[in-house]
Amino acid sequence: MRRIYAIARKEFIHIVRDPRTMIAVLIMPLLQLFLFSYAVSFDVKDLPTALLDQDHTAISRQYVDALKQSNYFVVNQNLASASEIDGIFDANKARVVVVIGPGFGDAVAAGRAGAVQILIDGSEPNSAQLGQAYANGLSQIWGAKTAISRAEASGFNTAQAGGLSARTRIWYNPEGKSASYLVPGLIVLLIAVMTVQQTANTLVSEKEQGTFEQLVVSPIKRIELMIGKVMPWAVMAALNVITVSAIGLLVFQIPFRGSVVLFAVSSFLFVLCVLGLGLVISARASSTEVANQLAMMISFLPAFMLSGFVFPLANIPPVLQGISYLFPSRYMTVISRTVFLKGGGWDVLWPQVAALAVYAVVIITLSSLLYRERS
Amino acid sequence: MITPAPIDEFALDVRDLRKEFKGTVAVDGVTMTVPRGEVFGLVGPDGAGKSTLIRMMATVLAPTSGDALVFGRSVRTEAAKVKPRIGYMSQAFSLYRDLTVKENLEFFAELRGVPRKEMASRSAKLLEFSGLTEFAKRQAQFLSGGMKQKLALAATLISEPDLLFLDEPTTGVDPVSRREFWRIISGLHRQGITVFVATPYMDEAERCDEIAFMTQGRIILRDTPAGMKRRVPGRVIEVDVSDYRAAMPIVRALPFSTSVEVSGEHLRVLVSGECENCEAEIRSALEGAGLAVSRIRPAATDLEMAFAALIPTATLPGRDDAEVLAVAE
Repeated sequence: MRRIYAIARKEFIHIVRDPRTMIAVLIMPLLQLFLFSYAVSFDVKDLPTALLDQDHTAISRQYVDALKQSNYFVVNQNLASASEIDGIFDANKARVVVVIGPGFGDAVAAGRAGAVQILIDGSEPNSAQLGQAYANGLSQIWGAKTAISRAEASGFNTAQAGGLSARTRIWYNPEGKSASYLVPGLIVLLIAVMTVQQTANTLVSEKEQGTFEQLVVSPIKRIELMIGKVMPWAVMAALNVITVSAIGLLVFQIPFRGSVVLFAVSSFLFVLCVLGLGLVISARASSTEVANQLAMMISFLPAFMLSGFVFPLANIPPVLQGISYLFPSRYMTVISRTVFLKGGGWDVLWPQVAALAVYAVVIITLSSLLYRERS
Repeated sequence: MITPAPIDEFALDVRDLRKEFKGTVAVDGVTMTVPRGEVFGLVGPDGAGKSTLIRMMATVLAPTSGDALVFGRSVRTEAAKVKPRIGYMSQAFSLYRDLTVKENLEFFAELRGVPRKEMASRSAKLLEFSGLTEFAKRQAQFLSGGMKQKLALAATLISEPDLLFLDEPTTGVDPVSRREFWRIISGLHRQGITVFVATPYMDEAERCDEIAFMTQGRIILRDTPAGMKRRVPGRVIEVDVSDYRAAMPIVRALPFSTSVEVSGEHLRVLVSGECENCEAEIRSALEGAGLAVSRIRPAATDLEMAFAALIPTATLPGRDDAEVLAVAE
C-alpha cells in the first residue's frame, strides 16, 4: 500500500511538473472538443448551386423559385451550356448543378412529367447525400403540388383522392444538431486518446531514463507498480470526463437524459480498458516514439473510425465491424450516446457495460502478463 | 563431523554465470566469490561484459545459465530475498530528473520500505555526507554531474544495503568529485558494507581490496592490487625526456623493454628482469637520437603497467583461452 502510494505520488509530480503533459491532459481535450464541435459539422445548409435552365419558361422559373426559397440551396450562377458543368465542379464554385432540359415547361403543361437533372459533386459524400435527399424531396413536393393544382383545375376533388401521407419525426435529436451527436462520442474519443497515450509512455520512459532498473532492484511487486502508475491517470481521465461532459451540457446545450450512475460506472470501466491498452503498449514498446505511434494507432483510429463516432457501424464492411469489437470505444460510444440522448438505462445497456467489464479484466491481466514476461 | 560453511560466508558466490544476447555471449561463465566487507573492483575494456555481470548479480537481468548467490540467496529463485539487501547504481543516471533531491530520496525510501520514523534522519544524514543538503529542493536535472552521482549513491544507500553494486559510478565526473565519491566508499567500507565496483580508472582500482580483470565475458585474473603488481616480471624505469613521441619508438625498439607508456610527464618503461644497466642503455639510445634526457630513475609498477604486461594477449581475438590463463598465472 505504501509503495503504491509512493509510485502514485511520484507520477503525480511528473504530471504536474511537465507543462507539456499538463497541456496534453487538461487543455488539449477541451481544445479538441471545441474544434470538433464547431468545425466538424454535418449540418448541410446553403449548398452553392448552379443552374442550367435550357427551358426558359414560366414553369421552369417556378421550379427554380421553389429551390431558391429553401434554405438548402443557394443558386449563385446561371450556366449557358452543359460544357461548363465540369469546370464549375472542378473550381468548387458549386456543389450542385440543376439542369432543366428543353421542353420541361411543355411537358408539365401537357400533363406529363417534366425531367429535371440534378448533378451532385460526390467528392464530399456527406453533403452529397444530404443534398441529394433535399433536392429529391423538393422536386417531389413541387411535382405533387403541380399535380394537385392541375387536378383541381380540371375539377377533381383531391381531398377525396386517398393515398398516403408519411409523417416523419426525428426523435432524440430533433433539430439534427451535430453537437448532440458528436459530443457524447467525442468524450469517448478524447478519453481514449489521452489515456492510452499517457499510460503507453509511462513504463517506456522509465526504461529510457534508466529509472526502471532502480524499480526492478526494489522489493516492489509488479501489480503494485501497475496500480500505482495507473491511479493518477484514472483520476485525470475522470476529471476529463467531467469537464468535457460539463462543457457539452452547458456550452453546447446537449441533453443528458440518462442515469448519472450508469454513465459514471461505465466511464470508470472504459477508463480501465484504455489504461490497460496503454500498459500493453508500454510493456512491449521499445521506445517512447514507438509507444506514441502505437498509442495513436490503437486509440485514435479505432475510437474515431470503428466506434460509430463518425461512421455508423452498421455501414462499415463486415471485417471492420469484426475488428471494432476488439476495441472498447465501440461499447462506450453506444453507452454514451444512449445515456446522453435517449436516456436508456441498465436494461438496454447491460450488454455494453458487461463487455467493458470483461474487456477491462482481460486487458489488465494481459498487460501485467506481458510486462512480467519481458523482464 | 563435517560442519557446512555458513551459507552467507560470502557476500557473493557466482557460479558459472552466463548471459547471451541473441547469439552474442556477453558473460561467458564467470565463477568467483567475494568475501563480506571487501571493496571489490572489476576492471576490463569496454564491452568486456562488466555491466551485464553486475546487472545479473543485482537481479536486473536474468542469467542465461548459472547462478549467483547473494549472501547465500539465489538471484534466480530468491530474487525477492536478495533485493532488500542490495543497492545498485547503474552506469547512466537513474533517478527522476523532475523530482527534487529530497523527493528522489524519499521515493526510494518509501519504495524500499525504510521505516517511517527513520526516514527523516537517514535522508538528512545522507544529504549531509554527500554534501547535497543545500540542494535538497533542487530538481535532479539541474544538478552537476558529480552531484547527480552522489545523489544516485545516496538514493541507493537510503535502504542501508549490505552489498552495493556500482557500475562505473564516476565516469564523466570531475576529479574532485571522484575523490569525494571514493571517500564516501571508504566510509562505507569501514561500516562493513561490501562494495562491488566496476571502474575504468586504474587509480580507483588501486583503492580496492581485490581486483578482477574481465575481458571477453570472462574473468581472467584476480588478485590484490599489490599482488597484481608483484606478478609483473621485471621492473619499471621512469624517463623524463624532451620529446615523448620521438622517444617512444626508440625505447620500444630496445631488446629488453617489454612495454612503454606515457604517464603524465614521464615515459614509463617496463624492462625485463635480467637487465642490469638498462638505465644507461636507455639514456644512450635516446641521446644518440638527439633527445635530451633530464632524468632517469627506477619507479614502482602501477596497475596500468601491470595489466599491460600481464594481459597482452587477452584482447587479441582468436587466442586460446588456456593460453591467456597461462599468461595470467
